[in-house]
Formats: sequence, structure tokens, C-alpha cells
Amino acid sequence: MPRPLSRRRRARLVRGAQYGVLVAAVAALTLAADWRRLGSAFFDVSVATALFPDIVTTALVNTVRYTLLGFGFGLALGLVLALMRLSSVPPYRWLAVTYIEFFRGIPALLVFIALGFGVPLAFQVALDQGVTVMLSLGLVGAAYMAETIRAGIRAVPKGQTEAARSLGMSQGRAMVSIVVPQAFRIVLPPLTNELILLTKDSSLVYLLGLSLSQFELANFGRDALNEHKSLTPVLVAGLLYLVITLPLGQLVRRLEARTAKAR
Amino acid sequence: MTARSALPVLAAAAAAALLAGCTSTAPVGQQGRGPELVRPGALLTCTHLPYAPFQVKRDGKVVGFDVDLVDLVAKDLHVTQQIINTPFEGIETGQDFAIRTCDLAAAGMTITPARAKVMDFSDPYFNATQALLVKRGTSVKKIEDLKGRKLGYQKATTGALYAKAHGKGVELVEFEDVGLLLTAVGSGQVDAGINDNGVLLDYAKHNPDTHVAAEFDTGEHYGFGVRKGNDALRKRINEVLARAKKDGSYDRIHRKWFG
Repeated sequence: MPRPLSRRRRARLVRGAQYGVLVAAVAALTLAADWRRLGSAFFDVSVATALFPDIVTTALVNTVRYTLLGFGFGLALGLVLALMRLSSVPPYRWLAVTYIEFFRGIPALLVFIALGFGVPLAFQVALDQGVTVMLSLGLVGAAYMAETIRAGIRAVPKGQTEAARSLGMSQGRAMVSIVVPQAFRIVLPPLTNELILLTKDSSLVYLLGLSLSQFELANFGRDALNEHKSLTPVLVAGLLYLVITLPLGQLVRRLEARTAKAR
Repeated sequence: MTARSALPVLAAAAAAALLAGCTSTAPVGQQGRGPELVRPGALLTCTHLPYAPFQVKRDGKVVGFDVDLVDLVAKDLHVTQQIINTPFEGIETGQDFAIRTCDLAAAGMTITPARAKVMDFSDPYFNATQALLVKRGTSVKKIEDLKGRKLGYQKATTGALYAKAHGKGVELVEFEDVGLLLTAVGSGQVDAGINDNGVLLDYAKHNPDTHVAAEFDTGEHYGFGVRKGNDALRKRINEVLARAKKDGSYDRIHRKWFG
């Protein structure tokens, strides 16, 4: 009769088995995939080089531009919404809650279509593409950012407001000069997260119809996919998204470390 | 056709294939000889909606000129047609055939040399020309009149190629699908839209504030696409088309959709 395994030994065996299954799964997938065909579809160097420099000078630049426009508008609106939601005036609160629940609950895709085609139909004015993107991305982003900012404001110790009030500041003054700046420091990491999400959502601009000079990364990649009948442009576009988002992720980690040190 | 309902079917097909000694595709049709289909018993058709009057959703069903023609093929094969809506790029680049999404593509698709490299085409079944849709009251007569103004086209279509080749000085705006393109013309976001005549004439019929200002005879023909090398199916389609043109059913279907 074999000696029963000690608890530690059993834990090690179980973990070893888990690693084994993982390695086997990866190996099986690696062996099963047709690498030659994948390679010719995704890594066609001549197609990849043909994409440059336009994919950077036009597509990458536009992606950044659309994102920043949307983020800027969304942040401003988000701050207003957060303050409204914290207001002591009930109708402000209701308005903010309704807005946030609505725009957080519907897909960004529908907002783009509703705004991009609804506004021109309703008022017979064709909005500039940049403006439409700014509004659509901003409206959606604001709903999320309002909640983030509200959490940040709540996280600022109550003593800060009380101290400001005792110095003779009005409630509004204390909020703007003392509480909100501290709140922003707290919510910088989640706001950067939102910026990364908006970077990817900016690809929805394709729904509005784009001229060549307005193409962003995703649309550029898919257009080139049709032109070259190769999947390589999609891979290149994906890598360029990483060029934008990876430094942002790094930035979040730096900010978090700094906030932790400051405390 | 949703992914959810596809899974059990795939599983069943895989099990059946194993039992049958690992044949991956089952022959269908009379005497066990016939075109190979992705899924026995069904003719899977790839299309990109909406493309009235060729394919359009009405009362929860996809109907249209292409649908009626492919139904003739399905009837000949003793199977039923099932329509899969997929982005046009996937059809046009041959990817949908490569990953076995469907047996046949019927998407109001022009036969071009570039497309013929990634799929095989049936005989032509419709003569298409490119046309310009504008709002009523606009003076646009030809593509040159649009200099400095906006012309919309649909991604990956022959209209896109025509616009790029002839639209010197015209600001070209690309749309994902024809529905958005036509709405953009209607709302004045673009000054004109280029697409195949059949689609634009149908739209103008239903939207009297727009009209087709010009048609450019580009000598285009629509064809049904099949996976490269699927000659059995291609021949069957050609036989059915030839018979339909002879016995009057093609004319009947044409009248039904184009008046």
C-alpha cells in the first residue's frame, strides 16, 4: 500500500499537471495550425511595406485625433454630469442619472449611427466628420467618466471640504479649488483606461462614411485588406494600435506608483 | 443562421464524417453524384444585406432577384437555400469560401479578374452598369460635375473602382454598406452616390426626392461565386441559368423585381 501523499507534494503534483495540460494544449494548437498559409496571409512583407507611410501619417494620426477630440469633450461633459449627480438639487441628479444610464447602456455603434445620420436628417446640415466623432465618442465616454469622477470626488476626505469651508470658501469654490483637483489625481488611472477604450472605439467612425484623408487605423487596414486581398494590413493596423495603447498602459502604472508614494 | 445553431450541426456533421470513414464532405444530389456542399441538405448562400432588389429583408425573410435565382439552383439540387449575411469584404476576398462559410455567393457581385483569382464565377446572370444617385434639383449630370464636391461609394465595390478612376478632383467618401451610402445621399451628407444601377433605380423608386442622374455603361456582369475548384456546383448553376432563360422563368423573376 503506497504512502499517502503529503499535502505539499500533492499541491505540487496538481500544479505540475496544470502546467502540463497548458503546454500540451499550446503544442497541439501550434502543430495543428497551418503556419505556411497563416504566414502568407498575415505576414506578407511586400504588402506591409506598401502601407507605409500613409498608415502612420494619415491613419494613426486620425485615430489619435478622433480619440483626443472624443476624450476631451467626454471629460468636460463627464465632470459636469458628476457634479450634477452629486448636486443637492433633485432635477439635476435625475437628469444626470438618466443620461448616464442611457449612454452607458446602449452600444457606441448605435450612438454613431443615430448622431451621424440623425442630425443631418433632422436639421439638413452635414456636420464635419471630426465634430460628429467628437460628439459620439464624447457622449458615450462622458457616461463612464462621470461615474469615475464621481467616485473620485467621493474619495476625497470630507475634512478637506470642511477645512475649505472654515476658511470662508463657498461650497462651489471649495469643490472647484480643493476637491475636484484632488479627485482628478485619484481617478487618473481609470481615466487613462477610458482613453484606451476610446482609442479602440474611435474605429466606429467608419459608419459615418470616410474620405481617404479621414481614414483611421481600422478602416485603413480593412480597405487595404480589400485592395491587396491579404490579411497583413489588419495585423499591421493592430500593431499600430498597440503603439498607441501600450505607452498609455505604462503611463497608468507610473501614475499609480506615484500616487501610492504620495500617500 | 446563428453561430449557436451552427454548433450542434457542425458537431453532428463531424460525428457523421467520422462514422463514414473520415470523408469530410458528403456528396448530395441524385445517384450520389453531385456538387459538394458545406452542409448536406442545404445550399448556403453568402450575401451582404441590404442590396435591394437583389437581396433585401422583408417580413423577417431575405427575398430578392438573386434569392429567386439561387432558389432555382437549390431546387435542382433538391436542397433548401439558406442565406448568410456577412460583410461584403469577406465575400469579395474569397475568405468566406476559404473558411467554408458558404457554398455560393450571390451578392449582386460583378465578375472581375481580381475576384476571379480568389473564386470561380458562374455565367453572367445580370448586366449591370454604374449609376449616380443625386437629390432632385441638383444639376449633376456626369461625374465631372462633382469636382470639388462629395461623391460617396461603397467599400470594395466596382463603383468604388469607377469613382477612384474617374473622380479626379472629386472628394471621395467611403461607406461600409449601401444602406448608409443611400441615407447619406438622402440627407445631403454627400452630393452624389455611385453604385450599381439596379440598386439605385430601386431606391429612387421608393424615394422620389432622389433620382438617378446618370448611368455609365461599364460592361459589367453579375455572377454567382463558388469556391475555387468547385466545378460541379458551378456547372450545375450554369445549367440552371441556361434553362431558366430558355423556359421564361428568368424573365418572370426579372419582371417581378425590376418591373
